[in-house]
Amino acid sequence: MRFGLSYLVLVVVTLLVSLPILWLVITSLKKEIEYLSYPIKILPRSPQWGNYVKAVMLVPFGKYAARSFLLGVTFTTLAVCTSAMSGFGFARLEAPGKDRLFMVVIALLIVPGIVMTIPQFIVFSRLGLTDTYWPWVLWGLAASPFHIFMFRQFFTTIPRELEDAAEVDGCGMQRLFWQIFMPNSKPVIATSAIFNFSWVWGDYFTPLIYLSDAKTTLAVKLSTAYLDPKGNPLITTTLAACVIYCLPLVALFFLGQRHILRGVVTTGLKG
Amino acid sequence: MVAVSALARPIAGWRLVRRRRARRTLAFYAFIAPWLLGFVVLTVVPLILGFLTSLTNYDGLNLASLRFLGLANYRRILSDADARFALGRTLLWSAINTPLWLVCSFALALILNQEVRGRGLFRTLYYLPSVIPAVAAVWAWKIILDRNYGLINGLLSVFQPGTAIPWLSEYALYGVTAIALWSGLGSGMVIFLAGLQGIPEELIEAARIDGAGTGRIFRHITIPLMTPVIFFQLVMALISSFQQFVIPLLLTTSGAQGAVTPRSVYLYMIHTYRQLFTYQRFGYGVALLWVLFVVVMALTVLVFRSASYWVYYEALAEEGRGR
Repeated sequence: MRFGLSYLVLVVVTLLVSLPILWLVITSLKKEIEYLSYPIKILPRSPQWGNYVKAVMLVPFGKYAARSFLLGVTFTTLAVCTSAMSGFGFARLEAPGKDRLFMVVIALLIVPGIVMTIPQFIVFSRLGLTDTYWPWVLWGLAASPFHIFMFRQFFTTIPRELEDAAEVDGCGMQRLFWQIFMPNSKPVIATSAIFNFSWVWGDYFTPLIYLSDAKTTLAVKLSTAYLDPKGNPLITTTLAACVIYCLPLVALFFLGQRHILRGVVTTGLKG
Repeated sequence: MVAVSALARPIAGWRLVRRRRARRTLAFYAFIAPWLLGFVVLTVVPLILGFLTSLTNYDGLNLASLRFLGLANYRRILSDADARFALGRTLLWSAINTPLWLVCSFALALILNQEVRGRGLFRTLYYLPSVIPAVAAVWAWKIILDRNYGLINGLLSVFQPGTAIPWLSEYALYGVTAIALWSGLGSGMVIFLAGLQGIPEELIEAARIDGAGTGRIFRHITIPLMTPVIFFQLVMALISSFQQFVIPLLLTTSGAQGAVTPRSVYLYMIHTYRQLFTYQRFGYGVALLWVLFVVVMALTVLVFRSASYWVYYEALAEEGRGR
């Protein structure tokens, strides 16, 4: 058989890569006692779908999820618009100082982000903006270098003629951008939106330092185990909650796979 | 009349050009204004204030007890045994993870670059872990690596009853490496795959006709042409490996209350995080961050300098000459 060895490697890697996901799902269907049993039991005697009900009912799961979702949608909408605008500027307009500013964008791709995160936190906390959702709005308004870069790369591929024709028609820059460039950029908008939303939904560190327990997001909530009334951890129920938590991102991935993989290639950004 | 209009037209045209240029300049700055403003307010100003903070004893709250310490925080790092230990751990972490990730994702890309059946399916499956958020990924691995109830020790116990290898404490370096590799493999593979698909088919055909075997094609065509991609990946991996701390941090929060990060993964950022948020030492914490910044930038410059020795840019240069 051709590629015999390759297939062997591919199958072994497939098993290794999917094992944690499979094991997460299997364990989420076990009784807590089954998880704690020795010797190990691979499969639950009967799947405990009740864990999924408990995962949603035991804590205000819906509230946390709605919060993560709204935060994600707000940030994504703003960040996509501002990043696309900057990307358009860098791709299609000329001005003194443009090249130097673009160098800044590129440099920001390399600078370790954490060095900026903490001083930013200090400033936000002095302004009394910690434990509010304003930082996400401001980050959204401020665009992101990765996405600016991605939009710029895309906009440079749109033919010049479109722009010239629009200008002859007396179409202003704003209209040119919103009515001609944006409607023709659906793939890159989808890519940018998925990346931005996934970032907020999956982000653990930012809400951890910015938000108090009462205002935090689903990611932070799920970082600690659910507890029963006596204070014992309910691992399998927590795992069921984790599975639900992953579903939106997995669904987005399958819907926008082509866009995501292309986005990874142009920016080197992880999903 | 004729003379006047002949003179007026170029001037009017020139004015038009100038006005158009001014309009475009204005438009450019209007379009990038959100980013530029955000960059100044959310990056430049905090960086300056952050640097000033690192010269003080700021505790994150009180300004009344604020004192200027000069470079004392930076001197303190030199005598901070934990910081030195953590930096050593981070170097070790980076030295293990960066090459491991590069080699594994490159190897997978090479395999998937062949005409194997089900390529798309494998690519999707391998990328899937990158989609799983860190919190869920750490949970998924905790129930595999857990000392008492984890899958690995559970299976080993079938052969050797009572096996309790501490994958998440003494051996956490391996445990965390597995988690990081698992979540990073997909994106690395996708980027390498795109690079491999950019290698002109004719080049490989020509070499094959000249009698070159798979090994020689790999060594003399694939590798040299891929060096720019490898270089890019190396830089990005180095930079992100020095900032790693969410996985080790999550290992402790999702465990017993008040647990501390195991020494084996006491990375530099974990140390910094503790200084900042456990002890409220903001001045010292930011100083630690600046040191990290300098170390990472120095390494990046070193890698960039090394590029002229091993990164093959001739293909790009020749393409440029052809144009």
